[in-house]
Amino acid sequence: MKTLTPLIDIVVPEPRPDQVYTRRCFDHDFRFDGLKRLLGAADCSKAGDRNAGLSTANETEREVARAILSGLTLQHLYDHPLTDNAGKIDSVMIVNYDIDRQAFADVADMTLGQLKDRLLNADGFEVQRLGRGLTGVMAAALAKLCDVHELIFIARKISKPTKARTPLGIPGTLASRCQPNHPTDDLRGITLLIYWSLALGGGDALIGVNPAVDTVDNISRILRHIDKLRRRTGAPTQICVLAHIKTQLACLENGVPVEILFQSLAGTDKTNNEFDITVDLLDRGYHTMAEKGPLKDVTEQFMYFETGQGSEFSYGTHNGIDMATTEALCYGLARRYDPFMVNNVTGFIGPETHLDSYEMIVANLQDHFMGKLLGLPMGMAPCYTLHSNITLEGQQIATQLVTAAGANYFMDVGLNTDRMLAYFDTSAHDDQTLREVHGRRPAPAFLEWGLARGIFALDAQGNVARGPRWGDPRQFCESDAEYQDLLAATPALYGTASAGPRPANDVARLTRLNQGVGRAAIHAELRIDELQQLAPFRVVTTEASSKDAHLGSPNLGARLSAQSRAWLVAENRQVQIVVSDGLSAEAVHHNLRDLLPVLMDGFAGHGYTTGQPIIARYGRVKLAEPLADRLQCDVVVYLIGERPGGDALASRSLSAYLVYRLDDAAQQDAARFSGNPAIRFEYTVISNIYSGGLPPAEAGGVIVDRVGHQNELPCACKFCTHARPCTPLSK
Amino acid sequence: MPELVKLIGLDFGTTTSSAVIAAALLRRTATGRVDLDEQEEIFRSEMVFTPIDANDRLDVEAVERLLDGWLRAGKVQARELFGGGALLTGLTAQKDNAAALVRLIRSRLGDALIATADDPCLESWLAFMGSCADLSRRHPEAFVLNLDIGGGTTNIALGRDRQVSRTGCLFVGARHVQVVPGTYRIVKLSTYARELFVHLGIGKGPGDDLSAADVDAFLTLNVRLLEAVCSGDRTLLEIPAVQRLEQVRFDMAMDILDSAVTFSGGVGELIYRHLQGEPWPATTHYGDLGIDLAQRIAAAPVWAESLRRFRPGSGGRATVYGLLRHATEVSGSTLFLGSPHLLPLADMPILGALTAQSSDAHIHDVLLLIQQSSRGGCVQIRIGSKEAVVVAEFGRRIARILQQIAFPATHPLVLLVEENLGKVLGQYVTCWGKLPLKVLVIDEVPARDAQYVQIGTLRDQVVPVSFHGFRPAGETP
Repeated sequence: MKTLTPLIDIVVPEPRPDQVYTRRCFDHDFRFDGLKRLLGAADCSKAGDRNAGLSTANETEREVARAILSGLTLQHLYDHPLTDNAGKIDSVMIVNYDIDRQAFADVADMTLGQLKDRLLNADGFEVQRLGRGLTGVMAAALAKLCDVHELIFIARKISKPTKARTPLGIPGTLASRCQPNHPTDDLRGITLLIYWSLALGGGDALIGVNPAVDTVDNISRILRHIDKLRRRTGAPTQICVLAHIKTQLACLENGVPVEILFQSLAGTDKTNNEFDITVDLLDRGYHTMAEKGPLKDVTEQFMYFETGQGSEFSYGTHNGIDMATTEALCYGLARRYDPFMVNNVTGFIGPETHLDSYEMIVANLQDHFMGKLLGLPMGMAPCYTLHSNITLEGQQIATQLVTAAGANYFMDVGLNTDRMLAYFDTSAHDDQTLREVHGRRPAPAFLEWGLARGIFALDAQGNVARGPRWGDPRQFCESDAEYQDLLAATPALYGTASAGPRPANDVARLTRLNQGVGRAAIHAELRIDELQQLAPFRVVTTEASSKDAHLGSPNLGARLSAQSRAWLVAENRQVQIVVSDGLSAEAVHHNLRDLLPVLMDGFAGHGYTTGQPIIARYGRVKLAEPLADRLQCDVVVYLIGERPGGDALASRSLSAYLVYRLDDAAQQDAARFSGNPAIRFEYTVISNIYSGGLPPAEAGGVIVDRVGHQNELPCACKFCTHARPCTPLSK
Repeated sequence: MPELVKLIGLDFGTTTSSAVIAAALLRRTATGRVDLDEQEEIFRSEMVFTPIDANDRLDVEAVERLLDGWLRAGKVQARELFGGGALLTGLTAQKDNAAALVRLIRSRLGDALIATADDPCLESWLAFMGSCADLSRRHPEAFVLNLDIGGGTTNIALGRDRQVSRTGCLFVGARHVQVVPGTYRIVKLSTYARELFVHLGIGKGPGDDLSAADVDAFLTLNVRLLEAVCSGDRTLLEIPAVQRLEQVRFDMAMDILDSAVTFSGGVGELIYRHLQGEPWPATTHYGDLGIDLAQRIAAAPVWAESLRRFRPGSGGRATVYGLLRHATEVSGSTLFLGSPHLLPLADMPILGALTAQSSDAHIHDVLLLIQQSSRGGCVQIRIGSKEAVVVAEFGRRIARILQQIAFPATHPLVLLVEENLGKVLGQYVTCWGKLPLKVLVIDEVPARDAQYVQIGTLRDQVVPVSFHGFRPAGETP
């Protein structure tokens, strides 16, 4: 087991005042106040950095920043540890200084530009050796100086195989990490997606489920089930459920097979606090796995981390550091635990961090480069949500490039469509395509298993080809009835037919069509004239002045425009209905006709006083709070379009948030239960309102019932995890 | 977290009795509906002879010991039970103290589940579901005719794609002629067998040996009757002694040119075991003519193709598995429970069916019938639309008529709705809670052609719903 250096023993220079970096270029003076600004300016322009005010205004300024950065020595970067907003060095930064001091000494006097050239000239062993002497900030600075070819060329030299039960990342291989997520953790759906993945030659890196419900019971249930499937199929791989590390450790204490310990990481302590983790907790997890993990006798690599550019920014806890640098700081933290695997999911958050395919592709290449340089076994998951401008084509370009760069594995999300997380990732079809295009094989033991089952075959030249049973999930079912059972429990599965290594055209067309409908729903505008046929709506606006602003900056839609603030006055009604597009205007149009009349009848039937209903274009859920404050209503019934996933029908799905404005007595009660003295609102939500889920008319009945019987509900406020009696809405 | 519940199936048949207990999770599916998921069998009893005392009555004390032993072995408490039920089937259901056994079972299982005797069409439906549900799903295009041949009765059900469309029942079974094992010496004849013997001119009774010709004549008639059921030919049933064998008339749909025929029950199990290569048990091994009947069926050319191609499940335990897996529907999860304390409701009479298209007069008649029923009643509803305007108008009409007839505030009224619209319909029916009514609106429950319904208590926002008192057509009234 690797000895973890106590934080107190890691030498970190004292923080220094920000240095101002200046340069005169073509009659212009450029100035960057501090290393954080310089690092941000030197990067390609990405939405998260732009929104954080860290990007440059133009390419000239960017190149000046790069030129200045190129001239800084490694020692300079070493001597200027980046601090948090209070000027302190956080524990993530401390861990980043746990470096190979000899390797650092060899390059300390070099400039970053010189080091980049040396890495381009060096062989793989030397690149890896030097990488061990670098902090995350140094790796990020190098990434900002590299063009695409350089990001690929240097990373390509680095081989980082690891081993748990089976090996991962052996040169010449390209593995697949099966992610059979299901929106309700239905084991039948999870089973089918695992069977299909294995049949497609996927899952040799790991079979790992992101759970919908993170409880010890549920995680234990899923882990035991996928352990059973692993044994039954004989697939040589390892398993994991991507719950919070605390939940997994509790499962492990109960004897549940936690073979690989997972955790999402961020590059600042503050963001990790949001994830409810600390370095101490990660250390404890590592030690517990070494003592009690089911694979403790066969490996010392049992940790699995997921990261991705932008989480620090999206939580507002990035400490003024750009996305690539905070990402590299994650890697410095991950390196401490010599993980079995790291998965990078840049693109997952949305347009507020990565607006389009270009930004996502560049970020993926940077992440892969930085991770490999810092000694991590990098798997990649170029991915996207439908509310960004990243497309499947952009994602596929990214996979080709990071395969060329030497990624250890990609994700397998069936038909690219994650059924739980409503985002789009790589698939086993993609993995097989990349194996064939780039001449890569699955992991050795998995290949043998696949050959024996007819999933793979060897051609006359000894190349690995698809076998006669490749792609057929039925081979793992005992009967067709079992297969049909599993299939019925699996949403957004448009067929299993293949053509070569790709989904058959009919399957691809249906998949893409569903995505297209989902994306169109996001970008559609509310047709206010139509809605005003249903009720005499009044219209408010937010600080988001356009659809792009609304999608790209979530905060704008949570604030009323000055114009609307001006005319909204206190009305002191009990209930206020607000309708907003959110992330699907189509959801509003498909449901309101049958939902609104029931709400109006119900509120009138109960004798509640109601305000004239409101439409809020480009709104987010949090807009309910300023609206409730201005109108002085007791509860806002906020009807808003949900973020579409991969199923066209579900892109019409609406949510109803009941947002209660707390009076003084309720506020004290809520503050006591939530531990949040500033709490002013409580939320409860009724989701999945559409013809394929909760029918809108029925949803109306449920909403009216909830509004009137709030005292029967637990406190639903998002800050509060404890049940408590809530105050009923007085009639 | 999904809630863990238990399911039970108890079958007290003419010859044998058995129990199966399973654990299952109430799990929310991707659409928001709650279903029973991940069923795991935790106990399966041996097939035991149904306890009969010296007076040919049910030995209730012996059954009580048996039942309590099963419940202990399955580690099941009545409050854990969510679905399934108990059936007295075949000739056991006709014993004069069958009702006492039903009471005993209800005292153990509670009121939420089916516990009933002499419900042949329910038994036919359950046997079909227990043996042919998977087969029928694999061949959704094919009509499947299942003959569940037990000791006393043959329960007949015709269905397609797991939907039973017709049911019936004959007093044809293995145990009408009981003999000394290994011989054809008669020990006992049922009333039906005695009449058939008279019809066939077999002048023999207990203590006599049946000749090969006697056995052949008796079984030939039985098999011809089964063949006639499959073909829809009722000529044979014109003979009075044969007509007496028809407990519930079954009319084969004449427009079905080709149906798969399957067999379940004890005789069915013997047939398929033999087809899988097992030797026939020794002559009259079980002390009846079940083995001989199975041999005749297996050799009959008319069923050869079906026997070769189709293989149902569960065999002799079809009914008990039907009970366990199919007797109970899980309701929707947005119910209108104006008076939740009414639950569980046992043997609630189903007194009508309505749609949004029903006339005011029809609605009036059905509600009046429920008003006049001493225990209240249930109406099955298929609204036929999910549009708010339709639901609202339908609910308001019901509310108006309830007021017109002064429906008593203390009288239970259960609306079983097919669509996921229970909450909103209940609100319109009660004028948003203003009408003082004991109304329960249970939704997402498919209509069944049955006379009674059991509704259990609320578990994880859903209730279990089970029907009994099935009518032969198997369709919505």
